Amino acid sequence: MQSVDVDEPGKKVLLMGNEAMARGAIEAGVNFCTAYPGTPSSEILETLAKVGESNGIYTEWSTNEKVALEAAGAAAFTGLRAMTSMKHQGVNVCSDFLATVNLTDTRGGFVLVACDDPGGHSSTQEEDTRNFARSFDIPLLEPATIQEAKDMVKWAFTLSEELKLICMMRSVTRISHARGNVELGEIVRVERRASTPMVDIFTSMPPATRHPALHRKLEKAGKLFEKSEFNWYVGPKDAEFLIITSGTGWVYSQEALKLLGLQDEVGTLKLGTTWPLPEKLVSGHLKHAKDVIIIEEIDPFLEQNVKILTAEMAFEIGPIKFYGKRSKHIKDTGEINVDSVIKALTKIKNTDYKPRDEEYASKVKKLVGSVPARTLGFCAGCPHRASFWAIKTAIKWDGRDAYDCGDIGCYTLGIGPAGFMQLKTIHCMGSGIGLATGFGNLERFGFDRPVIAVAGDSTFYHACIPALINARYNSANVLFIILDNSATAMTGFQPHPGTGTDSRGHETPVMSPERICEGIGVKTVTCDPFDFEETTRTIYDKLQEDGTRAVVLRRTCAIIEDRKRERRPKVYVDQSKCIGDECGCVRFCSRVFNCPGIVWDAENEKAKIDEVICTGCGACAKLCPQDAIIVESMEGEN
Amino acid sequence: MAGVKELEKEVIGAGLCTSCGACIGICPYINVVKDKVVVIEPCGITDGRCYRFCPRTSSDLTILSESIFGSKRSNFTMGHHTSVEMAQATDPKVRSSSQYGGVVSALISHALNSGLIDEAVLTKPFDDGFMPDPCIARDEDEVLECTRSNYIAAPTLKNLNEAIKERDGDIGVVGTPCQVLAIRKMQMQDLSDTRLKLVIGLFCTWAVPYNEFYDYLNDKIDLNSVNRLDIPPPPKEALVATDEDGKVELPLEDIRDIVKKTCRICYDMTSEFADISVGMVEGMEDWNTLIVRTQKGAELVRSAISEDVIRVEPLDDARYNHLHEASLNKKKRAIEAIVKRTKNEEDLSYLNISKEERDAVS
Repeated sequence: MQSVDVDEPGKKVLLMGNEAMARGAIEAGVNFCTAYPGTPSSEILETLAKVGESNGIYTEWSTNEKVALEAAGAAAFTGLRAMTSMKHQGVNVCSDFLATVNLTDTRGGFVLVACDDPGGHSSTQEEDTRNFARSFDIPLLEPATIQEAKDMVKWAFTLSEELKLICMMRSVTRISHARGNVELGEIVRVERRASTPMVDIFTSMPPATRHPALHRKLEKAGKLFEKSEFNWYVGPKDAEFLIITSGTGWVYSQEALKLLGLQDEVGTLKLGTTWPLPEKLVSGHLKHAKDVIIIEEIDPFLEQNVKILTAEMAFEIGPIKFYGKRSKHIKDTGEINVDSVIKALTKIKNTDYKPRDEEYASKVKKLVGSVPARTLGFCAGCPHRASFWAIKTAIKWDGRDAYDCGDIGCYTLGIGPAGFMQLKTIHCMGSGIGLATGFGNLERFGFDRPVIAVAGDSTFYHACIPALINARYNSANVLFIILDNSATAMTGFQPHPGTGTDSRGHETPVMSPERICEGIGVKTVTCDPFDFEETTRTIYDKLQEDGTRAVVLRRTCAIIEDRKRERRPKVYVDQSKCIGDECGCVRFCSRVFNCPGIVWDAENEKAKIDEVICTGCGACAKLCPQDAIIVESMEGEN
Repeated sequence: MAGVKELEKEVIGAGLCTSCGACIGICPYINVVKDKVVVIEPCGITDGRCYRFCPRTSSDLTILSESIFGSKRSNFTMGHHTSVEMAQATDPKVRSSSQYGGVVSALISHALNSGLIDEAVLTKPFDDGFMPDPCIARDEDEVLECTRSNYIAAPTLKNLNEAIKERDGDIGVVGTPCQVLAIRKMQMQDLSDTRLKLVIGLFCTWAVPYNEFYDYLNDKIDLNSVNRLDIPPPPKEALVATDEDGKVELPLEDIRDIVKKTCRICYDMTSEFADISVGMVEGMEDWNTLIVRTQKGAELVRSAISEDVIRVEPLDDARYNHLHEASLNKKKRAIEAIVKRTKNEEDLSYLNISKEERDAVS
């Protein structure tokens, strides 16, 4: 792929939505970009980090979204153009700052890109971050195509500077992770120096004057939006049936109209600026409409705002029948698609259009019946599998049914079969140790289970430290297990404070979870999770202690380890020793430990290593009751 | 047919596990921590060795007797035997480091020296933080590290499983009655143990669970310096703990309160299915009671006497009668306790004995 910073205006290139947003920032001459990785947002900063140095752009993987926004805020205060990108849950994390920086007059363009994950494909929940824009009086843009994703980011900086206000852009998975042709624009190269103005105070105080001022800014934004090129109407003049849509709904609704042959009958008002509403533009179209369907993803955000406008202008607009999420024509959770729009339109129009043939469902069912069920699992050689086996064993040894609070990362799968069902709570970044500080103080109310919390290394830096301090401060009985695989693995191996590099690949001081824990006064020991005996024994011993204590289980993510190596150690099963299904094993490796690198050789009724997948970690060999799994020594290799 | 699920429900979950170790080390699904057997995850098998080997799952004493002794079970009080005598190790060093007369240590050492066995599966008391530790001895010095008892059941048979699985030599085992029963069930059902050449059984009245016993003693004595625990014969009614500073006597009734639940349903005081059984002799600290049960046992004892490793004396009638009575009383208590659990006179739970035997011990 061509570099995303190619300076050829007018050229069309295929870009991923997140790359397009990065390109938009580059075209806008962004100076300062921060982020915490999170699907589906991570590639924005990754893309910028790759070309940042040569374009004078500072990039930073921040330890969490709040500091990311704050760091970028500082840049915006000094007149630089700054951008922060994050997944939807990150907006919750930074919302405290967001709810005050909105009251502050910023100087350089300041853009927050929030990438929502409708349906929660890669998240523990789904959430419509557009509500933050409304709650905090922040102008909101929603791209509907990959091209727009680029163009909107570029414009957002101009808008922010004009309003002296942070602007928000909301992407979703199918924008961020889809690819499309993008016509490149000019890269604006302005030499900006960071400086403070004469009155060098940046604050939200006093709210009594700042809040009204913010409302004036928002009114100004509404006026600017009336003329925005990101809003347009297609369809017959004065259509009585009107679609109002934003984001992915635009493409879905146009395809649905085409399939239903309704383009000449139904008009579509596509909005790219959704908060505040361009009221004149919207009401102008509402005046000719009798039926209006609002198509958007997750919450009825546009729908509510349009309905409020309609109510306010009831006399001018006249009666309208609304369809959307409230009427249940469009589902109010999860992703929507062309089919869901077709379903809604045919229901309203009372027409009979089947997007698929009648037999489709039964055919699929027939086919699906023959596809083996797959559960979410850890990769071959993943240290988390070993960690959870040790945790499970230690909890069984202890016999008091220890209660294990989970956190956010690959190891979240510990709540399912991959991690032997060890995790009992999963919420948001850092909430495992947070909850554990509560559970760990419930003994006085009769809660008699020992309490464990697990968190990954990146999560540890992100949000666990205040909770750990709370645990120690309030004498919570908690065993905190840090599953340190030396990466932010789930989002694509981004570096973090413990890895020794930053977003640009520069060397950084390596922080140690052990020393941080010890600094808080939490006694900490470290084990290699592939040393099952020592790890299990250590967790068991720690379970017998009181107070807040920590264990670090350190072993680099198998994928990173594998990428670093030229050759993997060869692992194979000595099938003459393997007893397979017999008492004494019962396929322990392939059925219970269940590393995808081990498969069941049905023909010989023995275990077998899948050499393509096996990373050669040898963890299974340590657990095989027959010593039938052989790891060939790498010695003698150059 | 049953597996680990049933074992967990009927034995471990019911508090009836003897901690013998017979189910440990044969698969990755069952572990032991100190004297606590834990199922990490049920393996799903419906006919598991863990269940079959367990001394607290159905045990047919009639069939076992026929298989071990080649004869019908006739002595319902002390099990099949060919002789009951008093014995002691001739070496005073062995006697002084042993609980009583040092006969077990002497016989095991003799079996190792004479090449009858290559390794002995024993138990080292006071080892891992007062927890007895199963261990392997290959010579006399190692045997002498494994003398004495601290009344905590140890999962010794896990080392037997390990020896069978991982090594080639001939094996001898010293175990408590429940362990001997498990060993014989293992032998009847699994042919891989033809290398098991010698089973010496100990007399046992009960054992205590590690945690409770530790907590009880920890309040009263310095556990690190205790090197001997002993329950002298009645009417003393005390547990005597010896450390460097002397002896401490603890009331036996305290300890009876924490005796393992499974010991209350135990039917065997004298290890009735061993080749040789060894216990104490009332009022004679330097001697053991020696019961010879099998031909193999008789041969070992004969050779040990002829090579002056042990010496024997007849056991007087009064002491023999007391032993007999104590053994019978244990059986009576066991049946009473079992029936109390099953609430059915006919249902003796794990214990499968003939009607004739039931009548004889009632």
